Formats: sequence, C-alpha cells, structure tokens
Amino acid sequence: MNPGLKLFLVVILALEVSFTQSLIVNLVLIGVSLLYLLLHRMSPKQFLGLIFWPLFPALGLFVSQWLYGDAGIHFAFVLFTRIYAYVFLGATFTITTNITDLSLTLEQDFKLPSKFAYGVLAAFNLMPKIISEVKTIKTAALMRGEVLHFWTPTLYFKAILASIQWSQNLAEAMTSHGFVENQERTHYQVIRITAMDWLLFGGGLIIVNLMFVFIHY
Amino acid sequence: MENKKQSQWTLRNIILIALIAIFTGIIFWGAGFLYTALTVALTPMGMAPFANDILMGLWTMAGPLSGFLIRTYGSAFIGEFLGSAVEVFMGGQWGAGAFISGLVQGVASELGFALTGYKKYNWVGLNASIFTTVVVTFAWDMIKNGYMHYSIIMLLGLFITRYISTFIFGGLLTKAIVNMLDRSHLSVSTN
Repeated sequence: MNPGLKLFLVVILALEVSFTQSLIVNLVLIGVSLLYLLLHRMSPKQFLGLIFWPLFPALGLFVSQWLYGDAGIHFAFVLFTRIYAYVFLGATFTITTNITDLSLTLEQDFKLPSKFAYGVLAAFNLMPKIISEVKTIKTAALMRGEVLHFWTPTLYFKAILASIQWSQNLAEAMTSHGFVENQERTHYQVIRITAMDWLLFGGGLIIVNLMFVFIHY
Repeated sequence: MENKKQSQWTLRNIILIALIAIFTGIIFWGAGFLYTALTVALTPMGMAPFANDILMGLWTMAGPLSGFLIRTYGSAFIGEFLGSAVEVFMGGQWGAGAFISGLVQGVASELGFALTGYKKYNWVGLNASIFTTVVVTFAWDMIKNGYMHYSIIMLLGLFITRYISTFIFGGLLTKAIVNMLDRSHLSVSTN
C-alpha cells in the first residue's frame, strides 16, 4: 500500500480509537494489524517488543481506572486495549515502511513542498550521527568532570550548536547538488497512488466505521 | 532573495528544526527508562497516570524550544510533531499514539506563540505556550486516557503535576538554553 495513504489510514483509525469505547473493535484492530504484520514477516524480537513495552502504560491505566474511575471495568479494558491498538496500528506502518518512501510519496502525491520533504529526510538520515553526537557531547563533558543529564541546559546548547552547523552544511551540500527551493522537480523514482491503494484505504475506513456504528460493547 | 520579507521557511531552517527535534527526541530516549520505572512504581497504587503527567514537560519541550529559536509561524508545531515522529520511528511504546500526541502537543504549543502574535519572545510568550500546552494536552487526556472518569481531586493533582513539569522543562530549561545561545551571540533565526 502507498506509504502516505497508509500513514493517513493509521492516524485516522488511531484517532477514532481515541474517541470510541468499543472493546471488540479495539481487539479486531489489534488482530488484523497482527495478521498484517505476520504476513510481512515481523521478527520474533519485534513481536515481543510490541507486546512487552506497552504493557506498562496499559496496565497502569487499567489499574488506576479500575481503582479510581467511575466508569467500571469495561472502560478499564477499553483503555488497556486502546494502548495496544495504537501500538499495533503504528507498527503496521513503521515495520513495513521506510521514511524515504514516505517523504517521496508525500512530495509527489500529496503536494508537500519539496524543501520540507527533502529537508526533513536529510535530517532523519543523520539519525545515527545524532545518536553518536549525543554520546560524544556527554563523554567530552565527562572528561572535564561534568555530568550532563537530560535536565542540563549545556547538553541541549551543544546539541543546538551541532544542529546549526550541520543544517548549514546539509543545506549547502543539497544546493551544490542542484537542489533549488520552490522549483518543480523531475523524479527518478516515481511513486503513484494506484486504484488498489484507494480501495484499501477507503475499504478499511468504511469497514472500521461500520464496526464502530454497530458494535457498542 | 529580492523580497525583503522573505519567509523564514528556508531549506536550512527546515533542516535545523528537524535536527533539533531529533536531538531532543534522542536525549529523551535516553530518559525513557524513567517513564517505565515510574509507571511500575505507581501502578500498584493505581497512580500510574501521574507518570504521564510528571514527564509531560519533557515530551513537550521540542515545541517551545523550536518555537523560540525559529521565530515564525508553524515552527513550534513542526518541531514538536517531528519530535514525536522520531519516537515512532525508533519504535516507542506508544506506536501510532505518539503521532497523534505529537499533533495535539504541536498544536497546543503553537497556540501559545500564535496568541502573542509571534512577537513576544520572552517570558510572556513562553508562558503563553506553556499554558496552552498544559490545557490542550490535558483536555486531550480527558478523552484519550480516560481522565474524565477520575474524581475532581485526582484531576486537580494531575493538572498541577503537569503544569509544574511543563513549566520546568518547557519554561525554565528552555529559557536557560536560549540564554546560553544569546550569550554566545549566535544567530539562529536569521540567515
């Protein structure tokens, strides 16, 4: 499915899950997402991660709603499954899609200005470098006997200095490779939204909304 | 370039906001264990929602920070939203929920700067952004996390906790960072 449409479908469904209180629909969404993920060969490690980490917030919300809420145990279960519905819906997108395809389709099919599509893509591609830069900043400070925590302004100050420098370099590098802001571009890799994409998008939306209308438990 | 009132949305500034969002996202990622630890500690008492509100300031910090650095419409929203996208792509606990929280928090933080007409880049503007962030995200949690079914006392406790947290990270810490940048005479916002 087209990455852009998939993202919109996932976000719309997650939004609807937030406003509705149907245990069954939540479970169906989790089940269908799980099936989709299994078809796309999710690794066992990813699967365990998806089950394990949301357990904390889900259980936390469940217990406090159960103890202090005035809406009963059903609503507590709705909140519990809601967290998992978010996570599994989100995973159908993140595990099967990469950010390059997403920004290409957002630019070509959804009229996102190319400077946003490529600018943000350029920044996200620096992610490994950013992770190591944070380590470098912390280690450099340790050598001077300073410990930088996430509440220390210096850590952010240095991160912003790096950002200023890198953004300048990246923008210049892109310009020297022929990138011109606000200019019509041709594409080496053309991504189109097919009829099948629209069918899946529309079909998914209609089916889930019909479930929300008819299933109230 | 011939136009004097050129948009601040240049390629460089877009990359800059995205980089700052990713940096803050990754720094918070390192503090991710905090949330799980707090939740584990608070769940037996049924007070787990407090973990959410204690850390709210951290999660919403990218908004005021980028809103303050790139002084134009939309920067707080984009910074905050991209920060949440980092979390989604690093496989955070919230999945698609983080995208939606990012949208809500982005709008919430942007609203404060919009209310001051993108003119007050001082404590007034920052506090406006903090205020709208707390109110809007709290309203959202009333629905999403079922806060509306708690008693008024618990709600008050959660709200105050969230306000303090947002004030510390979105206010005090952001201001301290901006002051450091001012002292270093760096121009972030202009080309």
